[in-house]
Amino acid sequence: MSTRIVVNPVTRISGFMEIDVTVDQGRVVEARTKGNLFRGFEQMMVGRSPFDAVYLAQRICGICSTARSVASSLALEQALGVQVTELGRYLRDIIHGCEFLQNHLRHFYQYTLPDYVRLPEVSSIFTSDHGDFRLPKEINDQLAEHYFESLQMSRLAHQMLAVMGGKAPHNHGVFVGGISTPPNADQIIRMKSILQEIAAFIRTRMVPDVYTVARYYDDYFTMGRGPGHLMSYGAFDRYEKLGTLYVDPAVYRNGRFEPFQADLITEEIGYSWYRGKRSYTPFETVPEPDRQNDEAYSWVKAPRYDGLPFEVGPLARLWLSGQYRSGISTMDRTIARALEADKIAGVLNTLLDEITPGVSVQQEWRVPERAMGAGLVDTTRGALGHWLKIEGGVLSFYQIITPSAWDFSTRDDRQPGTAEQALMGAPVRDSDQPVELGRILRSFDPCMSCATHVYRPGQEPLTIQVL
Amino acid sequence: MIDPNYVLPPEAVSNEAVARRLVEDAAEQIRAGRLKKKRLVWLELTGCSGNIISLLDGFHPDLEYLVTSMVDLVYENSLMAAEGERAMERLMGVLDEEFILAVEGAVSLKNNGLYNVIGRWQGEPLTALAAARMLGPRATHVIAVGACAVDGGPSAASPNPAQCVGLPEVVDRPMIKLPGCPCHPDWFLGTLAHLLLYGAPKLDDLGRPLLFYGPTIHDRCPRRPFFDRGIFARTLGEPTCLFKLGCRGPVTRVDCPTRLWNGYVNWPIGASTCIGCSQFGFPDGMAPFVRFDTTREP
Repeated sequence: MSTRIVVNPVTRISGFMEIDVTVDQGRVVEARTKGNLFRGFEQMMVGRSPFDAVYLAQRICGICSTARSVASSLALEQALGVQVTELGRYLRDIIHGCEFLQNHLRHFYQYTLPDYVRLPEVSSIFTSDHGDFRLPKEINDQLAEHYFESLQMSRLAHQMLAVMGGKAPHNHGVFVGGISTPPNADQIIRMKSILQEIAAFIRTRMVPDVYTVARYYDDYFTMGRGPGHLMSYGAFDRYEKLGTLYVDPAVYRNGRFEPFQADLITEEIGYSWYRGKRSYTPFETVPEPDRQNDEAYSWVKAPRYDGLPFEVGPLARLWLSGQYRSGISTMDRTIARALEADKIAGVLNTLLDEITPGVSVQQEWRVPERAMGAGLVDTTRGALGHWLKIEGGVLSFYQIITPSAWDFSTRDDRQPGTAEQALMGAPVRDSDQPVELGRILRSFDPCMSCATHVYRPGQEPLTIQVL
Repeated sequence: MIDPNYVLPPEAVSNEAVARRLVEDAAEQIRAGRLKKKRLVWLELTGCSGNIISLLDGFHPDLEYLVTSMVDLVYENSLMAAEGERAMERLMGVLDEEFILAVEGAVSLKNNGLYNVIGRWQGEPLTALAAARMLGPRATHVIAVGACAVDGGPSAASPNPAQCVGLPEVVDRPMIKLPGCPCHPDWFLGTLAHLLLYGAPKLDDLGRPLLFYGPTIHDRCPRRPFFDRGIFARTLGEPTCLFKLGCRGPVTRVDCPTRLWNGYVNWPIGASTCIGCSQFGFPDGMAPFVRFDTTREP
């Protein structure tokens, strides 16, 4: 006898999401992941000054806004024919790296830890309902303390970002050319000092803590694998002098490594609420919303690489760069995030040593009448792409494919999306407290602000009336 | 042994010292169980959830102080341990109690609110619109946090595909407005502290606390002397006035230049132009944010 389980809201993520699964004999046999928010930034961009994309696109997401400023400025540089200096790249990448640290710290401690660690009930939000807490009290309480200690560290990561970015979230520093205002010596040393404090916390707390969780919840090494196809657009890579500090663009599928080819990216809408071409390349078209498609169950689109769903994010990057190949699972993904935080702290230290203070990389940028550009970059959650066109000096087309669209895509005619596949076969011990589902999904670090929205198949949902 | 009720003179009577004693006294009363913490519900609606991230960036008070010593935080989508129906039970549980409501994000009206479903209650989707209408009238105080909640903000940017509006459009009652993209943690925490300790803060005629939203950025900008002498930057990164590159400091009323951000290390004009994110009408009314084609003095 099968049971349908719907979890909504999936809390401790950025944005709104619903899990809809069918469980048969204690295992998930059908799974759908659905985003619950739509604003339509691609449509909003049309007609605006191209430069405004750098700031407006950040408003897609409050936890990974810097990523959007990086992708849009890269796309604009291609469209405007701007050659970015190495200094400009270093400075932009430092700001971006600060966001990695902020994100990973918050995702592990604030979003992930409450799944595995009982928090002191000083406020009602910390009250947990499920019964699968396995840590001995002493260890549990130590990790709960680190939950609160980590708040200072993620805050410091945003402070480091603001030293050059002006403020966070939604920074003013990233721009065409790399960065708007270059740092002086006092700002460089401030960033180095902050970084040292964060790096020490990652080494002495975050990394040991994730392995502690893994020890007591080792069954999660066998859950949540997904398709096992991994992809990265590259991160902190191909500097003229420094080479690649982290990972080059690459793909891993069916157990083999391949070079990444941007022209193999497509997006499909067969099971999403859109009308237009069923499958298209990024520069081709942005589909129109259409709720009349009977086959659709979601407004998340389905990005594909050579027709396949891919996993993106920290585990993919560590795997592709040869730094972690123990396995692909819920717990491997969670460990990879902590290990990557340590890696990024090292990269930032290297980049900060290369900065020449007070050298501006800005010019009076000119917008051509007609142009197009793509910005592909790996961000905290994985591969992010912005594709834009300019006509008559203003934006005429804007396409965004986010990391969370890769990880939380709908199915296509051949297969379910990445996270949907990760949920398939997962054991659910208590259908009233399906703690496994949230743990599997959170290991991908969903950012649904970056994605979309959904309706239930074949019916007009009713609005709740509370008098 | 000194009698604990004996007050040792002299006792500092500055505003800061009085405020600190009040806060510490309230915290002590809460710890001792004599005073019940007020409930706070933080609703994330149609937006980027960036205001809760900004709140996590608050220093003194920080999130830990907020949840241990200021309020009982009952519902917050990004932070709460409970999920699904159990999380919704917490939200519905406040309806018969007293609570303060903080809302970030706009309210999407399209298709009766279905562009933003924030949870599911008894099998049916709970839209941002329904949640705002249900909780807004019942709260003891309502705080609209950030540009989207105040007047639609970026979520309502043209052509506004989700038909977003600010909270005041759907909840007809007095509320405190804290525009900003995002809202500075101090603007929210200071407003909340005022509510808890001294009642509602003084507001301007648009509903913003005068404590934070008074003079324009331009009035207190450290680059102001360049403006007064007509020295304007031609590129970002120059230390002179950014007015001709599109800076919106002259029309934006908020205390960024003196308060600064993220532990008080920098602010937007320290990096680039002000884009007017704390002013009504952001972003459409403030665009373009950066321009290089303005007519210049020779």
